Amino acid sequence: MSLVMIGLEIHAQITVLESKLFCSCRGNYRDLRPNTNICETCCGLPGTLPIINKKAIQYSTMTSIALGCKVPDKIMFYRKNYFYPDLPKNFQITQYNVYGFSSIGAEGSFELDDSKKIRISRIQLEEDPGRINYLEGGMNVRNSALIDYNRAGVALIEIVTEPDFTNPKEVRLFLNKLSLTLEHLGVCNTLMEGSVRCDVNVSMKGGNKVEIKNINSFKEVEKAINYEITRQTSMYNRNIKIESETRHWDDKKKITYKSRSKEEEHDYRYFPEPDIPIIVLGDNFVSNLKVHMPELPSQRFDRFVSKYKLSEHISDILINDKKLADFFESTLKIYFSPVEIANFLITEFKSMIEDDSDSTDYLRNMKVKPEHIAELVKMIEGNKISRITAKDILVKIFESGLLPSEIVNNTNSFKIADEKILMDAVQSVFDTEKSAVEDAKTNHEAINFLLGKVMKFTNGRADPKIAMRLINNKLKKPNA
Amino acid sequence: MISKDELEYLAQISKINLSEDEAKKFPEQLDKTIEYIDILEELASDDSNVLDLQEMKFDELRDDVVRMSGALRITKNLTEDGFLRGPKMK
Amino acid sequence: MSGLHNLLAHEVVEGIKEGLFTAEEYVSTVIKTIEDVESKLNSFITLDTERALSSAKLIDRKIKENEDIGYLGGVAVGIKDNISTKDIRTTCASKMLEDYVPSYDATVIRNLKQNGAIILGKLNLDEFGMGSTTEYSRYHPTHNPWNLDYVPGGSSGGCGAAVAAGECTVSLGSDTGGSIRCPASFCSVVGLKPTYGRVSRYGLISYANSLEQIGPICRSVKDIVLIMNIISGKDNSDNTSMSSSPITINNKLDKFDIAIVKELINGGDHEVTGTVYSASDKFKEIGCTCDEISIKNLHYALPSYYTLASAEASSNLARYDNIRYGFHLPIEEYKWDTYFSNVRKNFGEEVKRRILIGSYVLSSGYYSKYYLKARSLRSLLKLELLKLFKKYDLLIGPTMPILPFKFGEKIDDPIKMYLVDINTVIANLAGIPAISLPVGFSNGLPIGLQLMAAPFEEQKLIDVSYALENTINIQRRPSLT
Repeated sequence: MSLVMIGLEIHAQITVLESKLFCSCRGNYRDLRPNTNICETCCGLPGTLPIINKKAIQYSTMTSIALGCKVPDKIMFYRKNYFYPDLPKNFQITQYNVYGFSSIGAEGSFELDDSKKIRISRIQLEEDPGRINYLEGGMNVRNSALIDYNRAGVALIEIVTEPDFTNPKEVRLFLNKLSLTLEHLGVCNTLMEGSVRCDVNVSMKGGNKVEIKNINSFKEVEKAINYEITRQTSMYNRNIKIESETRHWDDKKKITYKSRSKEEEHDYRYFPEPDIPIIVLGDNFVSNLKVHMPELPSQRFDRFVSKYKLSEHISDILINDKKLADFFESTLKIYFSPVEIANFLITEFKSMIEDDSDSTDYLRNMKVKPEHIAELVKMIEGNKISRITAKDILVKIFESGLLPSEIVNNTNSFKIADEKILMDAVQSVFDTEKSAVEDAKTNHEAINFLLGKVMKFTNGRADPKIAMRLINNKLKKPNA
Repeated sequence: MISKDELEYLAQISKINLSEDEAKKFPEQLDKTIEYIDILEELASDDSNVLDLQEMKFDELRDDVVRMSGALRITKNLTEDGFLRGPKMK
Repeated sequence: MSGLHNLLAHEVVEGIKEGLFTAEEYVSTVIKTIEDVESKLNSFITLDTERALSSAKLIDRKIKENEDIGYLGGVAVGIKDNISTKDIRTTCASKMLEDYVPSYDATVIRNLKQNGAIILGKLNLDEFGMGSTTEYSRYHPTHNPWNLDYVPGGSSGGCGAAVAAGECTVSLGSDTGGSIRCPASFCSVVGLKPTYGRVSRYGLISYANSLEQIGPICRSVKDIVLIMNIISGKDNSDNTSMSSSPITINNKLDKFDIAIVKELINGGDHEVTGTVYSASDKFKEIGCTCDEISIKNLHYALPSYYTLASAEASSNLARYDNIRYGFHLPIEEYKWDTYFSNVRKNFGEEVKRRILIGSYVLSSGYYSKYYLKARSLRSLLKLELLKLFKKYDLLIGPTMPILPFKFGEKIDDPIKMYLVDINTVIANLAGIPAISLPVGFSNGLPIGLQLMAAPFEEQKLIDVSYALENTINIQRRPSLT
């Protein structure tokens, strides 16, 4: 028995959908005036019926396949009955596997690394509730709650793992890999506010399970687990029994606290949703979907290594930033030089955006496009500009959005290959760096120092190969 | 037999306040109903997994298209900001 | 012009088209009838006569301008008050929805309007359709037009009474466990519960979704066909709806094999039984065969029905919490859960009993004991019936095992009340079509015959009912003056 057992229950919105799960209201409810993205159905008006979104089933199936789950031939929906003011019907339409397997995925496994797999117990498709606005000053504004149903009915995928994690680090690794997978499938843009949520259960030394709810971003999950492990360890050490309970994560105070009411302990009275017939997916549904499914991160990694001959290290860096990897491949379509472009992107390019990496969609709003990088790398490879110049040009592209060739023409920054001009540069370096020149006659390191000085003298434009030859020639001359 | 506690529990999960009169007469009435449906126990349980829901094909499902032509307007309990005022949470 | 309210729907359309009378004259006559008898019957919860009259004028203008008025052009229709009508209050005979005005039309209402029908008003029912007498209406009970001391049946009691008394020409009801057929039988009119899925439920305020269907209550089989062809069909707003071929009136009857179900006869009032047997003799006269058969699992049907219906109801009715719609109860005094409980105590007693039973049979310890058993009975019953329908075209018996009864007779004993539905729930459990046809009277009280057919075999029900209707000349009009 391992010391700590952690299981996850992840909710990810299918953000790719245009419409909600059971009606034709917008799937993207963000930035809208409250209660303007609603209809009779998602507001639970009497007499309305759920009409299920075809694409939601496709995307949740792809998720199930990616997480190694079995997908049944037929799926079913259930009602989960509980009262809450954000739930327009006072029941949630979801899936349930107790009386036979009918959710979109079950019994899967997801590879954490070479040595560890996490078992997935089930994946189900369900509807998101509305939102109760928690304004500053608590939930009770003027003695009432403020409810917004714009989100009600948005498609959610629930992913439930077995308690296979033994430390918070594994959880972080899993969530990163999962985000990447969801992003690659196009299921969920995990960076959108509120698009992913996570409940965690933690038990220690085979003791009672404590559930932590309300963790509204993947970043907070590790903190919540750490807090909970510390709390439980200290209780254990003081011989205090750990109760099976539900706790909430307070992301301001960074603590978990016990839910006060009994409301959390529900008798959900599940039963099959009578308004949605059993959906027959058909024999070839999964195999067809597999053919048309977007590439998974692991498949992409293999392709980068085999097709583009990138190192595993570089492939890994690219794959872990899907937008960068996409950018990379777009650039390849214009100029095919995978190794050089990959190198350029993960060094020069990435170092410039690193400061900005928190912003959600840095590539979309940037002036630098694949065309720019393609042309720039082509110039480096054609020996037209030096790497140092390339970096300067990149800065200018970031600012102006001009093509590298335009910038080079404007600033006259092509490489200097003219030996006469270079000879002058070498001469003036030799004049000012006398001791280094002496040194260089015996010490090879000092030659590089001289080359550096020549490059600096020419603002980085000197063709280093020619400059080196000239330096060497000059050193060999007796009067140098 | 439905006990007082059990009735209270059912009323609580159903979110219904029972009047004194109802609390008095419901146990007996509900008991009679439960007694009546208890006959179902005679049915062999190996048939219990038979479900008779309708089926529909995946291809018949709704396409993912937004249609908000008759967007609903709720008027009851609306605040100036467009929120719906519900009872307090705590 | 008097007597127009006695016309059948197809006669109304023909009369208006041929210029024998105007739609306005006809609708005015129907409204006059309502004024005369409504105080005795209480069929309606809400009347919409002004709008009905202006709709009638619109029909007349179309006639003048030679425009098409539709298959139901001008016909005055009453709608059970659990079917959503845009801009007309829809209460389900409940305090919970006393102020609720739907923002949309049910699919069936849209279909009716597109075909020129005129909505006269909303008809009384037992609250949310739970009951067999209309005594559980929040507003008032409806009286049986054949004898005002008697119940009209339920839950679509307003439909049965209004159609029988000429307060509307046809009506739409809903049938979860017999709610169309029971009042049809008790009021001596024709009522059809269609095959599950034949008619869209979009806009029908759910009591038990997997069991119920909307259907017509009319004064003749021909009108049933007219309405059915307008309301049937696959609807994109209801995933459980299906397409079906239209039904027609055939003047020549095929030789059908019919079976009387023994269990439906045994234990009923002998006046009822006798009338049903003599109707079966008529079948032989019109060239059908008539056997007697037995259905094995029938005694489990009613317990199974109440289990499933209550379970679904407890969940369907959860949405009535007064936040988005409902009656006025200030929110300030309460925390949300006590607010909900205080709002929801305003359901009527029968509704509350069924919600509690529904919560009971679904709660964790009891699910497999009740709910799953009820579901499996349902499957077994359906299989058994489908097997019988390979041999027989129709299964018959009395719609109601007993004659209409007086107010108050069964209201204190829920089980007594439930037993009234024993013959009708079968069709709901199996999803098959069933019709109730008036076949006689005993002491002035109507008796109905129930015919059941295989799924989507409504045509067979119509063929035999039409032949029988023409053979038995039944008295159509109660005298109320």
